[in-house]
Amino acid sequence: MELQPYLLLSAITFVIGVVGVLSRRNAIIVFMSIELMLNSVNLSLVAFSAFLGDVTGQMLVFFAMTVAAAEAAIGLAIIISMFRNKQTVNIDDINILKW
Amino acid sequence: MGITFSDITSSAPLVSLVLFSFLTLIVESWGKDKPVLSYWVSLLGVGVSLALSFGHLGAGIPVFGGMLLQGGFAGYCNLIFLSSAFLTILLSRGYLERMECHRGEFYILILFSTVGMMLMAGALNLITVFLGIELMSVSLYVLAGFMRKKVRSNESALKYFLLGAFATGFLLYGIALIYGTSGTTDLVAISKLFPQLSHNPIFLVGCGLLVVAFSFKIAAVPFHMWAPDVYEGAPTTVSGFMSTGAKAAAFATFLLVFVRVFDIAGTSLSQVIAVIAAASMIVGNVTAVAQTNVKRMLAYSSIAHAGYMLSGIAAANVEGETGILFYLLAYTFVNVGAFGIVSIMERQDDKKLNFEDYEGLSARRPALAVLMTIFMFSLAGIPPFAGFFGKYYVFLAAVKANLTWLAILGVLTSLISVYYYLRLVVLMYFREGDADLDHSVPRRSMIALAIAAISIVVLGLYPSLIVDLTRSFFKI
Amino acid sequence: MDLYTIAFYLFAVITLVSASIVVFSKNIIYSAFALLFAFFGVAGLYVLLMADFIAVTQLMIYVGGILVLVLFGVMLTTRVINVDMRTGTIQTLPAVLIVAALAGTLVGVFWTTDWRIMPAFPGFEKTAPRIGELLLTSYLLPFEIASVVLLVALVGAAMIARREKKAS
Repeated sequence: MELQPYLLLSAITFVIGVVGVLSRRNAIIVFMSIELMLNSVNLSLVAFSAFLGDVTGQMLVFFAMTVAAAEAAIGLAIIISMFRNKQTVNIDDINILKW
Repeated sequence: MGITFSDITSSAPLVSLVLFSFLTLIVESWGKDKPVLSYWVSLLGVGVSLALSFGHLGAGIPVFGGMLLQGGFAGYCNLIFLSSAFLTILLSRGYLERMECHRGEFYILILFSTVGMMLMAGALNLITVFLGIELMSVSLYVLAGFMRKKVRSNESALKYFLLGAFATGFLLYGIALIYGTSGTTDLVAISKLFPQLSHNPIFLVGCGLLVVAFSFKIAAVPFHMWAPDVYEGAPTTVSGFMSTGAKAAAFATFLLVFVRVFDIAGTSLSQVIAVIAAASMIVGNVTAVAQTNVKRMLAYSSIAHAGYMLSGIAAANVEGETGILFYLLAYTFVNVGAFGIVSIMERQDDKKLNFEDYEGLSARRPALAVLMTIFMFSLAGIPPFAGFFGKYYVFLAAVKANLTWLAILGVLTSLISVYYYLRLVVLMYFREGDADLDHSVPRRSMIALAIAAISIVVLGLYPSLIVDLTRSFFKI
Repeated sequence: MDLYTIAFYLFAVITLVSASIVVFSKNIIYSAFALLFAFFGVAGLYVLLMADFIAVTQLMIYVGGILVLVLFGVMLTTRVINVDMRTGTIQTLPAVLIVAALAGTLVGVFWTTDWRIMPAFPGFEKTAPRIGELLLTSYLLPFEIASVVLLVALVGAAMIARREKKAS
């Protein structure tokens, strides 16, 4: 098995996540798409780490997971507090690509 | 290996701020509903760390097993972040009390995000860069949504969070590709490999992804779309903190990675950054002209200033680095001050935030009008004030790096900016109006504004003080 | 095709299909459960890459922690189920351009690079002891920072999401 299929798979998953962030309006789905992006990057890191025979990449994945957990807690707290005030988590007004 | 005693002493500003953050946390959980206690402890913590930072401007020393470089560049950047935090804390107490959301968590989060900034400026390893950015960002997401009963503040936090997390994805991918091609995350090791790596397309894509992520954090076009909405919805003093401390930290990391570690001068990356700089100057200034809300105007102006500073990074020479470091310090005092005055003028429910609410302010509040005029003149880059020299140095750097077109564009767009900065001054002095406050300005807020204004004047009169200092720590 | 390659393509298909469902499904509950399978697929790939510690952490943190949080979020904000997923026309064009540029660059650069310079997959004996040792020596500082990030998340999430106390 070579490295290339892993990197291609990771790139495709990353792009799928980006599509989700740019096209969906529900904050929770946008958040899930971001988690997909982070997962695909972690896959690249582990693949690089394995093929380099160097464990640093896996350390980085470990820290990325910690940060992802922290962001999940903060993000869902923000979504819930917004829902409490506004009764919606649709991001019409928070249109992400509004210039 | 572990941690030695000299690691602790060499990074005293950082360690003391972390300890004071924990102390504030303990004080806050102990003395329930006494946010004043947290205010004093956090102010003391930032003050102590600021005092210690002055002793750490000498040569940089790698600490914690090569994870951080303390002193020199990092020591100077710490001064910027800590000044921003100090003034923000002073200005925030009165503001939060008036907005009826004065809670001690505010100060805790300001301290932790400052710790994140200090880690970003001192990082010697991509892992530290990543964790520093995240520590800063996670605290700022919460600060943006600090007025949790206000829908605008919630929306601001949500937008900042989603786009910030999106940028984290790009940052991490960039780090992954750089790690994959160089086999290490250590910046010193990567800088030695850079001449070979700069021909590797995967490495260049990794650098490109890092440029995207950093451009998000400094709000440069086309990754700026979050800034106006977030700055408008967040508590005003937090917007001031985000547009100075957080922006300075992102610029410090940008400089660290792309100028100090990777020598991008004359490469395609430098061209890409020059284009981003040009776009930020044009979009920021042109859009700012059309704004009616002062907070939004300052948000677009901060996009434009990111463009000016980026021309220093595109130049990637000594003048560029010293120019940006001077610019960041000056801009910190100016923008914290300008947002501070907006926070004093603001009433509950986002009232009194428009340009016309400043009409005739000089008649009733001459001190505020004078201070605001100093800040606006400095933002516009009018000579005696520090803002002028910031622009002068970064444009000079661009000319030296054969980016004359960028410098010319910078000067032209600065002329546009004079219109909207001076419009506010004209409204305050030459227009009849009933702009006034329904409350007295707390003395601590006036002290903070005075410190900012005096620093701007002093930096404008003696710019060589800073420039000679920063010139000594070029490159790692 | 050997067993390893078959396993790789199996997990790759699981990951890609679930990822697509997460992003394109109209029902947020389907999205959340598809995310579960995407996380499992990636964990399987970690096992194939002999990253045992990371594979277990993936299951514990992503599946056990983050996914449960997401499901809580979905259930606490029930009205969002069956949300209308049309997107404004203004953002379609820039979105398509961004995605096309990104996909073109990434896939193009991975496709064309000559990977034979990479050594054959050396693999690891056991990763957990090595990672644990590094966390407490060279990477002690990042480890401490990570703990501070978690503390901030704790303070921040509690501050934002708790109920308002009676006027104090």
